[in-house]
Formats: sequence, C-alpha cells, structure tokens
Amino acid sequence: MNKYRIMVIDDEKIVCDMAKMSLEQEGYDVETFMNAEPALKRLAEEKFDIVVTDYKMKGIDGMEVLRTVRKLYAGTKVIMITAFANLDAAIEALRSDVHDFFPKPVKIKELKASIQRALDEGNK
Amino acid sequence: MTKETSDGNILGNMKNLVGHLKSFFGLSRRQQGGRLPFTEAFERFRGVLDNNNRALEIITDMGEKLGGDYLFDVNYIKDAYSRLSAVVAGAISNFDTLTRGRHEQLLGVFNRINSQVTGMIYDVASVTGERVFFYEDISWDMSREVGGKNAALAELRNYLRLDVPEAFAITTRAFDEFMEHNELTAAVDDLHGGGGPHEEKLARLRDLIMEAEIPPGVGSDIEAALDKMKKRCGDPCFLAVRSSGEDEDGEFSFAGQFETVLNVPLECEAVKRAYKKVIASLFSAKAAAYQERIGYETGKMKMAVGCVVMVDAVASGVIYSSSPDGERRTLIVNATWGLGESIVEGRTDSDFYRVKKDIVPEIVNEKTGGKQFMVVSRPGGGTAKVETPVDRAGKPCLTPEQVKELAGRAISIERHFRRPQDIEWSIDSSGKIYILQARPLRIEERAAVETGPAAPRVERPGRILMKDRGIIVQKGTGGGTVFIVRTPDDLEHFPKGSVLVARHDSSNFVRVMPFLSAIITDTGTPTSHMSSLCREFRVPTIVNAGDATGTLKQGQKVTVQAAEDGSTAIYEGIHRDLIEYSEKTSMKMEDVYEYRKKRFVLRYISPLNLVDPLLDNFSPERCKTVHDILRFMHEKSVAELVDSARYGTSMLKRHAAVKLDLPIPAGIIVIDIGGGLNIEPGQGKATFEQITSMPLRAIVKGMMHPGVWNSRAVSLKVNDFLSSMMRMSDITSGDSEYVGYNVAVASGEYMNLSLRFGYHFNMIDCYCSENTRNNHLYFRFVGGATDIVKRSRRIELLATILREYGFNIKSKGDLIIARLANISSDELVGLLDQTGRLIAFTRQLDAVLNDDSDVELYSRNFIGGKYEF
Repeated sequence: MNKYRIMVIDDEKIVCDMAKMSLEQEGYDVETFMNAEPALKRLAEEKFDIVVTDYKMKGIDGMEVLRTVRKLYAGTKVIMITAFANLDAAIEALRSDVHDFFPKPVKIKELKASIQRALDEGNK
Repeated sequence: MTKETSDGNILGNMKNLVGHLKSFFGLSRRQQGGRLPFTEAFERFRGVLDNNNRALEIITDMGEKLGGDYLFDVNYIKDAYSRLSAVVAGAISNFDTLTRGRHEQLLGVFNRINSQVTGMIYDVASVTGERVFFYEDISWDMSREVGGKNAALAELRNYLRLDVPEAFAITTRAFDEFMEHNELTAAVDDLHGGGGPHEEKLARLRDLIMEAEIPPGVGSDIEAALDKMKKRCGDPCFLAVRSSGEDEDGEFSFAGQFETVLNVPLECEAVKRAYKKVIASLFSAKAAAYQERIGYETGKMKMAVGCVVMVDAVASGVIYSSSPDGERRTLIVNATWGLGESIVEGRTDSDFYRVKKDIVPEIVNEKTGGKQFMVVSRPGGGTAKVETPVDRAGKPCLTPEQVKELAGRAISIERHFRRPQDIEWSIDSSGKIYILQARPLRIEERAAVETGPAAPRVERPGRILMKDRGIIVQKGTGGGTVFIVRTPDDLEHFPKGSVLVARHDSSNFVRVMPFLSAIITDTGTPTSHMSSLCREFRVPTIVNAGDATGTLKQGQKVTVQAAEDGSTAIYEGIHRDLIEYSEKTSMKMEDVYEYRKKRFVLRYISPLNLVDPLLDNFSPERCKTVHDILRFMHEKSVAELVDSARYGTSMLKRHAAVKLDLPIPAGIIVIDIGGGLNIEPGQGKATFEQITSMPLRAIVKGMMHPGVWNSRAVSLKVNDFLSSMMRMSDITSGDSEYVGYNVAVASGEYMNLSLRFGYHFNMIDCYCSENTRNNHLYFRFVGGATDIVKRSRRIELLATILREYGFNIKSKGDLIIARLANISSDELVGLLDQTGRLIAFTRQLDAVLNDDSDVELYSRNFIGGKYEF
C-alpha cells in the first residue's frame, strides 16, 4: 500500500522540522511549507491525505487554506494549529469543516492520534 | 496588533522591569542596616517562596514543552519566559527587602542571564564578558562565550574531573572585538552580496585576517594569560591553539573543518599568529560549505579559540565511544606512538581495539598496526613526521590495562553527554591519560523510518518487580545494579552505571548524575530541583514510587522503564533491547537542528549549578541560571527568617506570649502570628490540645513521647562544670530578654523554635504545608555544658541519627546544622515527632557520653526506640 501523504504549513521552521521528523517516524510521507502559496500550488499537483496548517500566517492564512482545500479537494482533511488559543478562530474553523483544531504548543502524540483518526474516517 | 509590536512590547516590558528593580534596589540600599520586624520578614519570606514556586512551575512547563514531545513555536518561548522573568523579579524584590539589600549582586546576575536569554529569544546580539577564561572558570553554560570545544573540555575537567591539560579560552567577545577593530565585519557581510565568485571573496577575507591587528585589549589579555600559564607549567611549554566555534562540538561536530596549530611556543607573537590562523580558517572554502549545509550563514558563527598545553605524549589516539558500525555495545580505540595528528587525519596504520562496553570493559578484538611513522613535537615549535624507532614500530603502544582505562573514560564521557563521542587522548611519559577533545559522534541509526520503529522484543522478559508506580520525571529506559542511597555520604561510593534508589529526592544526586542509569525514589515531586536535573541530564527517573527502597535489593540487577505512554515498570535483570529501543526513539528529535537551537535557551534557565549551600561557591556570583538564582534565594531566605526570629526580640513586647502548659518541664513560650494556638484572647496559658500549629504540635508531641524526657539529674563532673561556667558569657552574648526562655514563633503552617536547655541551644525552623515544595525543616544545635570532646560526641550522635532520617548535615566542633526540604506534610509530621524526641533525648546526653563507642550505642538505641540511659 502507498504511504499516506501529509502536508505541513507553518511560517516557523521549527514547527515544520519537528512535525516532519515526528510524522515521518510514523511512516508517513511529509512535505513542509513555510508559506501557504507554494503549498496550495503543490496541492493542485498531487493529492495529500492531510494538511496540517498554522492558523495565523503572513499572506495566505490558515482559514484561506482550509476554505480552498474544502472547495477543491474533498478527500483531504485539514488540521489547524494556532499559537493563540482563540475561541473565535476555533469556531470559524469548525464551521468551515476543519477536522481538528489545536492550540500550540501541541502535544505531538495528540496530533498523531488526530491524524490517525482522520485517516481512519477517510477509509470508511 | 502585529507580531513585531507585541514582541517589542515584551522586550520593552522586560527592560522596564529591570529599571524598576534598579530603582527599587537603590531604595533598599538606603534602608540597609538593622533587621526587619519578624512579621514583615515572614511576609517577605512567603513572597519569595510563592514566586519561587511559580517560577519553578514555569521552568518545569518549559522543560516539558521543549522536551521534544510538543510542537512549539517561538511565541511560546517568548510568552513563557516573560512570565518567568516577572515572577523571578517578584521573588528578587521580596528577597531584597527581606535581606536588606545584602545580596544585591543578585540583580546583576539576573540581568546578565536575562540579557543572554532575551538575546537568544529575540535574536539580539549581546557582547558581554571576558576576553579570556581559564578552564577552571568555565561552566557548562558558557559555550556562547568560549565555544563548544572549550566548554566541553572544561566540563570534562571541572565536572567529570578527568585529566585535561592546563588551558585557557579566548572568547567570542575577543573575536567580535578583533573583527570590529579591523573593520572585517563589512567584508563578512560582503560575502553574501552579489559580484565576484564566493571563493575569491573568502580567500581575500582570510588574507585580511592574517594581516589584521590584534586589538590592544585582546592583546594584553592574551599576554596576561600567557604569563599566568608560564607560571603554571614552567619552561619550555608549548600550546595547541585550536578552534572552538560557538556551536562547534556541541550540536554539530564541525570535525576537521577548522585549523589547529600545534606546538606553539608560549610567546605572545607566536600565539597571536596562531590565533589569526585559526580565525581565518572559519572562512576556508570547506568550512563555509559545511556551515551552509547545516544551515549556518557563513560569518554568523563566532569563533572562540582554545590554548591548550601540549602533552609530552608517548602515545595518542582516538576513541569512538560507540562503534559506528552498528555494534553499539562496543567501542573502538585507535592508538599510535607520539602525537595523535596522524590518526585524526587517517594517515597511519594504528593499533586497533574493540572493547565491550561493560561495567568492567573487556577487549574483544585487537590488531597491532605497523606504525612506521609517528608525529612528534619539534623542540623549537611545530611538529614533524619521523620514522618510528625500531624498538617501538610494530609493537602495541598500549597495555591492556591502559586500553580498559581509556574505555572507562570514554564510557563516562558518552554517558555524560548522552550521545556517542569522538574523543582524542594522549598518554604522557608518566602514564597519565589526558583527554584533549570530546565531540559528538554522529552515528546514523539503521533506518527505522521506513517501517516505523519496531516494537521492542524482549526475549525472556524478566520478572516485573514494580509496575505503574510513581510519577515519571524523565522518560527513558535504563539498566544497572541497584544502589540504595540512605545518606548523602553513600554517594561517595556510588558505582558508575548503577540505578540510584533512595527514599527522598535530593539535588545532592547531581554529583553522580553523569554516572547513573536511572533514579527511583520512594517520595518526591516532578518539580523538585533534582527532577530538573534529571531532565537536563535526560536520566530516566521515577519519583514517588512508594516502597522502592524496600522492594529493590542492594546489588540487584534491574531495568527501569519510564515509557512513552506514561507507564512504568521495573524488571529484574538488564534488558539491552528495551534500553536501546528507548535510546533510539528518544534521540530522534535531538537531530532536528532548529529544535536544538531553540531548546538551547533552557541552558540559561533550568540547570542547577549551586547544589551545596554550605560551600563557599554558594554565592550570587556563582549563579549561572534562573534556577540557581531561585535556589540561592530560597536558602538565604530561610537563613534570614531564622535570624529574624532569633534576633527580633522586640516582638516579645508587642505580641502576647503564651506559656505552654505541658506535662514536661520544657518551659516553652509561644508567640502566635496567626493560627498557631486556639485560645481565648488574654489567656496566658495553652495546653497541648490547644496547639493548632501543625509543626509545633508535632514536635511537642515528640518531646512528650513516653520515656523520652529524662528528668533524672545527670551529675556533671567537676571539669564539665568549670568548663560550662567559663563559656556561659560566650553562649549568651547577643541575647537579651529571652535568655532563659524557650520561644516558639508559630502560625498554622510555620514554626520557629528556639530552645535553651542547660548550656546548649537548639533551633528548629519548619514550614509544613500541603505544598510539598514549600516545606523545609532546619535544625541547629550548638553548645553544651561538658568539655568539647563530650560535646562533639553529642554532635556526632545527632549527626548519625539525623542522617538516618535523611537530613543533610554540616557539623563543626559543637555546632551542627541539619536541613531537609521538599517533603510532604505527612512525612514531615513524622520527622518532627522524631526530632522532638531527639531534642528531649539529647538534652543531657553529653554528660554520659564518656566514650566514642557510646555514640554508636545511644544512636542505635534511639533509632530502635530505646530512650533510657
């Protein structure tokens, strides 16, 4: 079976690098982007199972990534992470059918579990 | 609000904070002198404790979030640190009032740490400090100043106490001055600008450096260091001048990237030239390429330099503390005659040993090389490659004992740095082993990524001795022989690689932290000083495990597992599979460069360097981290409060003094500062039942324990009586109105008890609350009616008994100070009861301690519950 593909978008390198390392450890294929624009281009080229995106970024932000994915790539689930535990943002994201929403720092184990759930749901 | 302004505000707030503190300190200086009224001192004391506790909680949280289990970003660090610095500032301001500005240096120390940390978090360069440090003055958190190589080597010298040659570091500050003085910073910036090939620019920069002038300040500091060195190592003496980049040998090895100039005469001009040669190598083409590959921008890295005395080497070589071929249970020793240069550069047919890493290392494979050539120091400076004399060529240059000794050092270095090491060493003509360098050895793990890590297979799982007990402080798996530490002195005999088992946690364990495989304690909390140390050293640790000291047997082989999922298990026997699986999975996040770089900030926050409050180095100047500052304040605050209670005699006039009405003639007067007694206003006496102060009640209960208060008059011998008469004035000087009284200052959770029985004084200070970390028990005993020999015997007896109960002891002559902290109130009540019995038991005991052997007899009796004499 092919490996699951996960995209991580965060404007901080440390989040990208740590997420890549820990998710690759689980056997996923991981690509990271520090800017949403090239990330959306890449999504147009290839199917990703999960997109993990930061909420607040310069340029295209996490909400826009979420809306774009929902509109164009039905099979892709979005997990949002944010530095600010912002209730309004969470509600907004949930309305737009986000799979999960985590405030940072996020426990890697919980992120992994959430990804696993999203993949399990996708397989039903 | 944009991110930038929010950062700016935090930075601005921090600066304000320091400003406020400064004006605050100015104020306190004017008020210096005298002593605070006790009630105010007590409030300030609590202010220090509260803020300290909050600070330790934040430090613990940062340790957890930055420990590799969380995705975090810079905002988290900024936010956590700004909260931390605020509570530390709060603690300092309370502390300063409490101590009347007597430790005002603490503010300067905090400023220094604060600017280091904010500099790292906000990426603001801060150039402070010395131009030269001798190795004995370098601590583990100084790699920014002295570079990774110097810091690592100094750590081996100062911490593991391995033999390292005399050496000093020329710091990154000197480097900055050198670059600025010669306007080289512009040339560095130009490296990244357009125009002209990169390599040509690098070459031009190197030429500029070789022609540049050493700034006068740097020059004179180097000269002074050379003079000092001359006095230490005599003449002739030569130096190895080596690179020590800011991050070199720390996170990345930079192996072989920079210049080393060997056998440099101890002359200023020669050293300066070698210095410039090393600096220039920062801009060699290969070094620039390496830096780019690992994410450094060429020129961003600062270069410190190490000047290390050359060893008159008979043989030298390299050790890989874990064999790079995957045989991680073995290590490799390479050796050759003379200097090790030829091995480092892979140019000689050296001797080879494969050694099994065990408690007693064992050579499993060896091959003697031809070693036709060797590198030697030339008498006037420099090195030469010469033919090996016939009587030595082809002969092994080490004895099996030396190989094992080297292996032992390598194992302890690897354990200390928690990763495989590439170690350079030399043996001199007297057979002494010197460590010249230790840097991380990058070993690629066999790819577990493809399939995900395989579950550990334990072929014959041992019996489970304990399961799911206690709280995990540091995850991981470690195996070794159980060593039960009952008193701090036991640490002297701690066998390397053992599993430390103790009743309480203690920061004293830091002494053996680099040598141990795991820690289990019966009681303890994950936020204690020891817990922070365990995280810093990544020692698998379980606290509050119940009865580990009872369940595990001294000398038993065990594997301690503090698993990822939070479960704990202690297996009988040592299970390598479990241990290696855990090492593999936990080392991974360490490989992410960005992560390591960000986590580095913790080096200024969580390690604890001030361990023993009774040592001279327990001073504000020796505080290197936020944790040190907290620790210093805590200790000194307790001392201050004790003094305040002891000397704040004016209290007797203002506070109602209530006499305790007890069945024993203890004559105790209680000053209730809130919740200490439950009596009607104006009532002049209180019974035992009316004591509501938890610590006072417990200690009085102990004093009243049946049979322990010996009221039989003990006859003094004539010389005892004379001796007591002559010393009366010494003992009572300084005390005025409450001489002759036994005084307790008490609240619901606090007690300070000053006792005077006959001719000795006994002081007990105790805080006993539901918050374990607030709790302490301080016991001081001095004096006595008999001659010094007998009095010292009583001190010895007290020390023996108090040690048995886990106190840290310091005694001198007829004075003993014992402390305990960080214990639960339940346990403390029990200890107070025992302390009360001890007070009663030892009142007149010195008079009957006629022989040294009586000390043992009576201490055994006391511990066994026999109180008659």
